[in-house]
Amino acid sequence: MSTKHQHDRSHHASIATGIGDPQCFKGKAGKPKFKEGDTVRVKDMPDIFYTRCQVYPRGAVGRVTKLVYESPAAEDEAWDNTDKPEWFYSVAFKQKELWPEYSEAYPNDTLETEFSERWLEKA
Amino acid sequence: MSEHHHEPAPVVDEVSDFEILEMAVRELAIEKGLFSAEDHRIWTEYVHTLGPTPAARLVAKAWLDPEYKKLCVTDGVEASKAVGVDWVNSPPTHFGTPSDYCNLRVLEDTPTLKHVVVCTLCSCYPRPILGQSPEWYRTPNYRRRLVRWPRQVLAEFGLQLPSDVQIRVADSNQKTRYIVMPVRPAGTDGWTEDQLAEIVTRDCLIGVAVPKPGVTSNTTRPIHKAVHPVEHGHGH
Repeated sequence: MSTKHQHDRSHHASIATGIGDPQCFKGKAGKPKFKEGDTVRVKDMPDIFYTRCQVYPRGAVGRVTKLVYESPAAEDEAWDNTDKPEWFYSVAFKQKELWPEYSEAYPNDTLETEFSERWLEKA
Repeated sequence: MSEHHHEPAPVVDEVSDFEILEMAVRELAIEKGLFSAEDHRIWTEYVHTLGPTPAARLVAKAWLDPEYKKLCVTDGVEASKAVGVDWVNSPPTHFGTPSDYCNLRVLEDTPTLKHVVVCTLCSCYPRPILGQSPEWYRTPNYRRRLVRWPRQVLAEFGLQLPSDVQIRVADSNQKTRYIVMPVRPAGTDGWTEDQLAEIVTRDCLIGVAVPKPGVTSNTTRPIHKAVHPVEHGHGH
């Protein structure tokens, strides 16, 4: 008799089939910390093993344009840990905020990308 | 080189490291029972049926129907159903895949706002509605440069935008996939949905081009010859 723990590899399929991902995590992240229009700063945290938070927006200040969905953060999901879904936010930055050398001729240019809640703080 | 000497040319195309890696991972996954060879074949065949036609149709419909346009902008997954794409149930898995999460955002351009899409981390692309991404979309060149020098990169595609137009780069780094809904161009009054869909090319849907009456295909990217080319000569 084996006591070795067998990881359930069909777990994701069983929760997402016919519902979709990220739809299958809807309602599981609790109360969102930020709302549309909030000014937020991207934290610069260590990223051992896996992340989907790019390096270039870290430390930058942007504005939440949309609460997009609930999902486990990529850092957890990479290990099939789906226990603690978080809110995800779409955040827009002025290009000048991301790239100090960005041309002065185009001050309105922006970039939008997404973050899980753990990566953001109030600014 | 003392005499002219031909080495035999390879009879098969070179297999890249990434292709070898894909085969190794695929074979391991099949051996471990994560999916079967049959599952893999069904998935591959499904992916090869996809193309940009449904996304072009979605934009054309939205140009003609303001109510549908609202739906596109608020719920891209729901709006996709009207053009035959069910993000959840069309893929053989019935839940998408990590590279085809069921979350589409339609980015609406205005006369003063132009969206363009990239995935800096890998090559996330709204495949169920747009098919396989073009080769250039996956290159480090496009991915690194678009976020930082969007105007220069767009100019290389032949799209020069005035300074009063805001460029918004969308970097699809998580579970949202994007298509761009460009502004309906002048000179298309009275056009039918079919006529409009024809000018919404794949490049327009990524955001590196804007639709023009009479233009129904993607432009070829200019290829600049290397300044210091690497020689692959024989027998030196």
